[in-house]
Amino acid sequence: MPRLDPVTLELVWTRLVSAVDEAAKAIVRTSFSTLSNEANDFACVLTDAEGRSLAQNTGSIPSFIGTLPGTVRALRDAIPPASMQPGDVYITNNPWIGTGHLNDISIVRPIFREGRVAGYAATTSHVPDIGGRIRSTEARELFEEGFHIPPMRLMRDGVVDQTLLTLLRTNVRTPDQTEGDVWAQVGAVSLIDDRVRRTMDSYRLDGLEAVADEIFDRSEAEMRRRIAGVPDGCWRYVMQTDGLDAPFTFAVEVRIAGGEAHVDFTGTSPQQPRAVNCVFAYTRAMTVFTLKALLLPEVPNNEGIFRAIHIHAPEGSILNPRWPAAVGGRAATGHYVPVLIFGALAEALPDKVRAAPGSPLWIMNIAGTDPAGRSFANVFFFNGGTGAGAAQDGVDCISWPSNISATPIEVAERTAPVLIHHKRLRPESGGAGHQRGGAGQETVIECESDDVAAVFVTERIRFGAPGLFGGGAGAPGAVLLDGVPADTRRQQTLAKGTRVTIATPGGGGFGGS
Amino acid sequence: MIASSAPSLGIDIGGTFTDLVLHDPAGGRSANIKVLTTHADPVLGILDGTRRLLAEVGVSPRELGRVVHATTLFTNALIERKGAVTALITTEGFRDLLHIGRERRYELYDLALRPPAPLVPAHLRFEVPERVKADGTVLVPLDLAATEAAADAALAAGAQSIAILFLHSDLHPAHEQAAAAHLAARHPRLPVTASSSIVREVREFDRGSTATANAYVAPLAERYLSRLAAELGGLGIAAPLLLMLSNGGLTHVAEARRAPVQLLESGPAAGALASAFLAGPEEERLLAFDLGGTTAKLCVVEHGEPEIVFGFEAARQARFIESSGLPIRISTVDLIEIGAGGGSIARRDAIGLLKVGPDSAGSEPGPASYGRGGTQPTVTDANLLLGYLDPGSFAGGRLPLDRQAASAAIRALAETLGIGEDAAAWGIHDIATEAMAGAARTHLAERGRDPQGFTLVCTGGGGPVHGYHLARKLGIPRMIVPPEAGVASALGMLAAPPRVDRVTSLSRRLDGCSADFLGDAFAALEAEARSLLVGSGLEEGALSVARLLDARCVGQGAHMPVPLPPTPWPEQDEAVHALIGDAFRTAYAARYSRPPPQVPIDLVHARVVLRGAAHGLPPQSVASAVAPPVARRRRIVVDGVAAEAAVHRRSALPAGFTGHGPALVEEAGSTLVIGPAGRFSVLASGNILVELD
Repeated sequence: MPRLDPVTLELVWTRLVSAVDEAAKAIVRTSFSTLSNEANDFACVLTDAEGRSLAQNTGSIPSFIGTLPGTVRALRDAIPPASMQPGDVYITNNPWIGTGHLNDISIVRPIFREGRVAGYAATTSHVPDIGGRIRSTEARELFEEGFHIPPMRLMRDGVVDQTLLTLLRTNVRTPDQTEGDVWAQVGAVSLIDDRVRRTMDSYRLDGLEAVADEIFDRSEAEMRRRIAGVPDGCWRYVMQTDGLDAPFTFAVEVRIAGGEAHVDFTGTSPQQPRAVNCVFAYTRAMTVFTLKALLLPEVPNNEGIFRAIHIHAPEGSILNPRWPAAVGGRAATGHYVPVLIFGALAEALPDKVRAAPGSPLWIMNIAGTDPAGRSFANVFFFNGGTGAGAAQDGVDCISWPSNISATPIEVAERTAPVLIHHKRLRPESGGAGHQRGGAGQETVIECESDDVAAVFVTERIRFGAPGLFGGGAGAPGAVLLDGVPADTRRQQTLAKGTRVTIATPGGGGFGGS
Repeated sequence: MIASSAPSLGIDIGGTFTDLVLHDPAGGRSANIKVLTTHADPVLGILDGTRRLLAEVGVSPRELGRVVHATTLFTNALIERKGAVTALITTEGFRDLLHIGRERRYELYDLALRPPAPLVPAHLRFEVPERVKADGTVLVPLDLAATEAAADAALAAGAQSIAILFLHSDLHPAHEQAAAAHLAARHPRLPVTASSSIVREVREFDRGSTATANAYVAPLAERYLSRLAAELGGLGIAAPLLLMLSNGGLTHVAEARRAPVQLLESGPAAGALASAFLAGPEEERLLAFDLGGTTAKLCVVEHGEPEIVFGFEAARQARFIESSGLPIRISTVDLIEIGAGGGSIARRDAIGLLKVGPDSAGSEPGPASYGRGGTQPTVTDANLLLGYLDPGSFAGGRLPLDRQAASAAIRALAETLGIGEDAAAWGIHDIATEAMAGAARTHLAERGRDPQGFTLVCTGGGGPVHGYHLARKLGIPRMIVPPEAGVASALGMLAAPPRVDRVTSLSRRLDGCSADFLGDAFAALEAEARSLLVGSGLEEGALSVARLLDARCVGQGAHMPVPLPPTPWPEQDEAVHALIGDAFRTAYAARYSRPPPQVPIDLVHARVVLRGAAHGLPPQSVASAVAPPVARRRRIVVDGVAAEAAVHRRSALPAGFTGHGPALVEEAGSTLVIGPAGRFSVLASGNILVELD
């Protein structure tokens, strides 16, 4: 097939991106999980026949964009494409080939063209519940964390596998909502399938390879050019984070040479018998996200951009744990990856990197029975400030590197027995510097029911977000129960009247003040 | 529809021109005039145009039965951040709510991203002791003295308008109302906006954003609308001044002054109505397509009514990116707006692909062919090279286009892409049109609409140029191109009915609602809506009421509007539950293509839409020319290949004339492009109908 010209390529690619964007909107409208429709905790991806990422929805979160094509490839390894039929739909939530924890279910649908697989439509979405312990850091193995679905066929000829569905429904707390979200995803991959086949019709394409190869090659060439613009050398960064009983060490070496980037996390702490481990797929996703944001932010995500990036994380480390490590809180570990890379490349790219943000994302899960006797389970998110850059202060209270909104106060108070006394900026929490870090926030939540289980995901309580080039660290965060610092690594029990203070960390400053 | 015998006047203020139209049903006459918008004081342009138009038609000011006005002034004030100095008074502990916002980035890879700045700066945000809980119990009584002190401090700091946002005021507005009443009594001339008086919906950030936007434009609305009403009265016009709402309905000055945020999309609403009017009542389903210099706007209009949504985003700071603007919860035309227009700049992107927009050359320096210093190739330059535009007669001959400059700009771009000049020009046209098609395709699909049942109505300078290719891309079989917009665009809104939308939060499960509870909630909304129209001169004819619920399955995050059937409200709880359950399942299946799961239904908001009757207007007609037109020929590129097109002057085409593509039909402000797959005919109304194979 002749090479595609830059106009046709743009037209086809735009159509493909628009197909996944349309599917993303369908998921927002149809899913039950507030994580999908309010927090944007889902993604839609189109890959070529080899599982290489060709298009993804514009607003998706970095971790999913990076992991989902790998999910497709792993699924192809598990289930030979030759055995697939038009109308098949596949499912898995294996953390190692998926997004890193069981709560995200991935759905994959092969797209057929003239009797063979031309590509895959894939989505992943955080379902309302997957069974197991409720997002607890205390889980010691994967088996405690919920219902595990290996790569399996969910549908053939439009008929769902009732055995699988019955098992899933039986093992989760919210069978209707969890099943509803699976259907929302099946709808989305079917929509992508339809739109992609129409696009191939419109442009008389007999597959996606010609488009994919051309886009990958062009993107790869440009990414190599951008990497070549970074001074060659070995750039290193080490930092400590809160850890469990003892702090964790995160280490990275970014070697830039010959238009390629080699990122090596050797020296990072070993995997832990707690749910803080971050599978390699997630580590990889956060790494490529960071390098793309630094070097080639304007080109839509695709496999070509990542070809010049090589990543190594030692097996058995918290950035590449072995099965069956517990992984439920992997974001709290994986969200440090961009900070490491910024730190390493600070000297090489001083105008582009940012000081550390007051992330990872903070989470409070509460579950119990309200005073009227109804059971409830809610999850609340809290964001800190972002780090400053060479020419800009950090942003106050904004999700980064993830992109998850906080629940509105009125919604929180109407769905859980809580009263929120205040939610305000922590004015002095941004790190000092020529450019200041963004401020965190303080929220005080009063529990209005007895015997409520509270589980937290927090970071940067011991170690604030470091600044760059002499900028000060952001203020550390804090969780207080009735004014007393709480151990956020263990489940806490709240009584009626208990006041939980959540103070999120500020971002680091940039440059001496 | 009701026919009113008194003449009516329509006034549409746009960025460049103020259009005025007068319609006299008795004499069967319509006339219009276009004057430059007088930005420093827009009233002057209106008065000047009104005087001239009345004199021209020979209608005395006292004869006018109604004056209808649409304006983009308020939305421009918001976009340009030129509104009033606004203060915000909130529940103690929550002064930073609007600053903190939704805590999400609207773009993932931009490390230097800034969220939209709130309309109220930090030093003008005040807290007062008060707190109502989610169940309506008062935890902390409202401190009126503190409210007064906050207002005094705000005024001392220069505030010209105040918004009040208390938590849970959508369910329990008493504190907000008491605070607003107290401030109104103390400061009768100070505009005060209580969030619950604008939008009684859950979600404090969205409600607060809407309330502050209202407060931000309120002083301008107050000054402008009072003055306009007074000055029109000064001309001897006794008819009431009616304003076009964002949803295509009409309201009166008092309501527009109270809640001007409802008028933010007044201009586009008038545009959508104009398209419907121009296309004629026999067109049941149309896609209104307006293409100007910087943006394309598309809107679905069915049976004469534009599609409505209950919220939108104003003043997006990163052009057209979702979430980069201010959420505004009002009922408004469901508009697709894309950053693609005549001035959109074409460029080579980082990996060598051709991109068009959203950056625009605007009108200064404008496209390369304007010869005003622009060197970057634009969509207009491409359309010129493709042969669609006549360099000598563009914009009625007032702006001769420089073909060589366009060619140089596009050739330079073509070389960097490694393609020929014609291919680049066609590529620009194709990609710009694809941006519009992509947005429209998704929009229609999401609403379960099939493009084959639609007619594309093309307006604006660029609509007729891109309409053919857009229709082809969408699979739309018919296009209507009205005679030059402007002649009758303001006429469309003279047919608009009065309309009031009211909403209130329910935040309850259906199984926990009695028939009386819901019946009373709707009745209260209807009474409030009716009180707005009664005695206002707006309530001519019968009023129709529609009831809707925003509902979802328990546990679902997003809710959807569920229209209830217009049956009498049942007395039994079970009957009401069945009525709502059925309506919910119908709406759910239509939206999600599958029945809802067996979980209880959650009711979020109740809505009432009260509408009056539409006014009747005569069909447009065109004088038939006698001489058969003689067409010239010009080389054009269409569908990527060169073709010889017949070139017609529109004014020379009589009703009944038919032809086929490739053809061009030129008029002063635009050119209709018809490719080889199109046949066209001039209708008695003056519209051109293009049918595609």
